[in-house]
Amino acid sequence: MSQEESSKFTRMIILGPTANISQTELVRKIHMMEIPLTIKSTCYGAVINGEEADVNKAVEEIRKLDPCNIFTKDRGFPPGDPRRCRAKRGGAREGFHQLEKEFELLGHISEALEHPKKVSLKKPGKISVDTFKKIAEESEK
Amino acid sequence: MKIAIFPPNSLILADLIERRGHEPLVLQKEIRKRVTDAEIDSPPLNITEEEPIKGLKYAAIEVPSGVRGRMAIFGPLIDAAEAAIIMEDAPFGFGCIGCARTNELSMFCLRKRGIPLLELHYPTTKEETMEVVNKINTFLDKLEKLEVSNG
Repeated sequence: MSQEESSKFTRMIILGPTANISQTELVRKIHMMEIPLTIKSTCYGAVINGEEADVNKAVEEIRKLDPCNIFTKDRGFPPGDPRRCRAKRGGAREGFHQLEKEFELLGHISEALEHPKKVSLKKPGKISVDTFKKIAEESEK
Repeated sequence: MKIAIFPPNSLILADLIERRGHEPLVLQKEIRKRVTDAEIDSPPLNITEEEPIKGLKYAAIEVPSGVRGRMAIFGPLIDAAEAAIIMEDAPFGFGCIGCARTNELSMFCLRKRGIPLLELHYPTTKEETMEVVNKINTFLDKLEKLEVSNG
């Protein structure tokens, strides 16, 4: 692997189930950004590869397309890498199964992002013995 | 703020953290160093005999080399963390996170660090998912305030 390739970053762009753009539109819009990137269209969205600053800039722009329905994730292997690409492996790569599982929740996550609510992080405390006794006595009546 | 996540390759956690402007310490960053190295030794991952030795910092010598090798990848992420989010019972375990003992050890190391920690269970229903997202966002907002107050 060349030194040039080793400095490049890869990002997966995943469209949620309620996203208002398709994979094809997404890829076209990334091309229109005119950022020097390698773009690969995939079933879940796209994979982009390039210099870190370019990738980050593209991710920022892509998120703006549909903030609550576009998700992104880092990827270690470059796109089409023969060690991971399904064309060479003869089956889905390991990360795909995980993505498939997490994809099931993305619709609910988009909804939660659209309608944020304040919640408490405090764990419910234990009740005192006296309170427990009272409850037990009341239920016996 | 650098936030460690568990599972360390979770899309949901990494994405939510980035949305709030923090840096998720994801496994892929460590993997990238080992797969795009100009002098790759042993494809598909550049794991050399050095890795289990590095793993000795986190696990004893009698622990299997697979655990120590994995800890050589997870360990630097745990050490760099300023806060952590742990999601237990995630229904996936492939590749680097396919070892249950390493996962237990990683979670133990994160808890032992004494950094702000949010522990959750992997959601299965719509209500649970919405609660998890809100909890993560509340936790991240609190971290932001903490960061501001600490300068």
